[in-house]
Amino acid sequence: MIINGIKIDDTFAEAFNMRGTRVLITAQNLKWAYHAANAMTGFATSVIGCGVEAGIERELPAEETPDSRPGVSILMFAMGSKVLMQQLETRMGQCILTCPTAAAFAGIESEDKINLGKHLRYFGDGYQSSKLINGIRYWRIPVMDGEFLTQETTGMVRAIGGGNFLILATSQPAALAAAEAAIDAMKQLPNVIMPFPGGVVRSGSKVGSKYPKMFASTNDAFCPTLKGIVNTELDDDIESVMEIVIDGLTFEDIATSMRVGIEAICRLENSGVKRISAGNYGGKLGPHLFRLHEILGHKS
Amino acid sequence: MSALTFTLKHTINHRLDCRRLTPDGLGGLNLQQILQLKLSLQHNSPQVADFFEVSGNDTENIIFRNCKQLDYIGHKMSHGKITAEDDAGDFLGAQMQNGIILCKKNVGDRAGDSMRRGLILIDGKAGDYCGSRMIAGTIGVFGSVGNYVGFSMKRGTILLKNMPSLHATIQNCGTHTLPFLALLFRSFRSLPTAFNQIQTNRVQRFAGDLACNGNGEILVISS
Repeated sequence: MIINGIKIDDTFAEAFNMRGTRVLITAQNLKWAYHAANAMTGFATSVIGCGVEAGIERELPAEETPDSRPGVSILMFAMGSKVLMQQLETRMGQCILTCPTAAAFAGIESEDKINLGKHLRYFGDGYQSSKLINGIRYWRIPVMDGEFLTQETTGMVRAIGGGNFLILATSQPAALAAAEAAIDAMKQLPNVIMPFPGGVVRSGSKVGSKYPKMFASTNDAFCPTLKGIVNTELDDDIESVMEIVIDGLTFEDIATSMRVGIEAICRLENSGVKRISAGNYGGKLGPHLFRLHEILGHKS
Repeated sequence: MSALTFTLKHTINHRLDCRRLTPDGLGGLNLQQILQLKLSLQHNSPQVADFFEVSGNDTENIIFRNCKQLDYIGHKMSHGKITAEDDAGDFLGAQMQNGIILCKKNVGDRAGDSMRRGLILIDGKAGDYCGSRMIAGTIGVFGSVGNYVGFSMKRGTILLKNMPSLHATIQNCGTHTLPFLALLFRSFRSLPTAFNQIQTNRVQRFAGDLACNGNGEILVISS
């Protein structure tokens, strides 16, 4: 398949099951909502080293938030419910409780609940108080700037992580510009996050390493500086590869996001992008296969 | 379904205990059974039909009319909604477990006494000892309140439109803008209450009752 001169590989991205949650963070203004959300989703690029993958989903106007203040919604994903609970509580305590004027609310409905402020309330040292409003329990914790308000729990749902595609370009600036265009388009979509810095990852990995203690190492087949010495996937004119990784609430969310991102790249004129590919492990890693040709509307 | 409505047939010169006329007490009963229900468990207790005209069939939504002499409206209720369309008597919502009570006019003494959970909104005035021995929940009084508001309250919120006369063990914590009030006021929007006129989250906060190590609060809305 070729779109606007860009070859779309007949391959697939391979994704795996995760647990996900959404938290709504509000504050006095968007500036402070972002401060809280950026801290909350910081160091959360990959479950390999961070425990969770998290990112800002979108801005919320005051009319859409529970307390009628501006805010942002964040999505957080982990490999299991226990890790997700632990990470959420830790990050709530260190990033939201500490952030001036910030408040946190559940952003997703589910029978499975995880704690937002349920244990955090003990920071109040006995001065905390709860309010049950329309059947939902909130905690008010006295803090030095006034009162920290948080919902007791949020929902936890089954989700998918690891959707991805690779951008193969003739130069590093070209690959990055294309990746930025894709991210700009993908950020308009709900229910997905691209957890790496700026949504883009340059250090795609393969499973295993020559070093026994390493369970992941650089994806040498896509490293342009190794073209002559490894079994490369790159043509002679490819000088840089960028990857976009997507976590989402459903298969359709991720597939839509991948399609929108790839289409945004393909619309660019003289982009320097030669190929779009995807990372997989032969179908052995995860049950969810995102076939690029199917996503883009063509049966392979 | 229409609201189950109790209208006092004639003016009485004595108090009438209505603690059995709650969504908990009337759930599952038909109109005939409600009319024959004894107002108390005493052997010679009068029946509902002796005092009330009853109409409607929704036991989750109960209305009282001509109810100034009626005490213990909403006593121990745990769900549903009760509306007092006229003045209500003493102990409105006493030991309330959950649910909503609306009073369109004034209430007597000890409204919300020992209430544990739920919401009482009074559009008019409240008598003495409003919110006494309150364990938790929310009481709102749009008019004035009598003496000893929040007496021995342990937790819970008493929301007032007018500055009350407070006893010594309720202490002033200053004026604040409290974020949770935005949620609370938003939850009132579906209810016909005078509190929907409130446009501010700024309140003067009094904490207490410190005589019983209380962690309750009286919030006086800034005008």
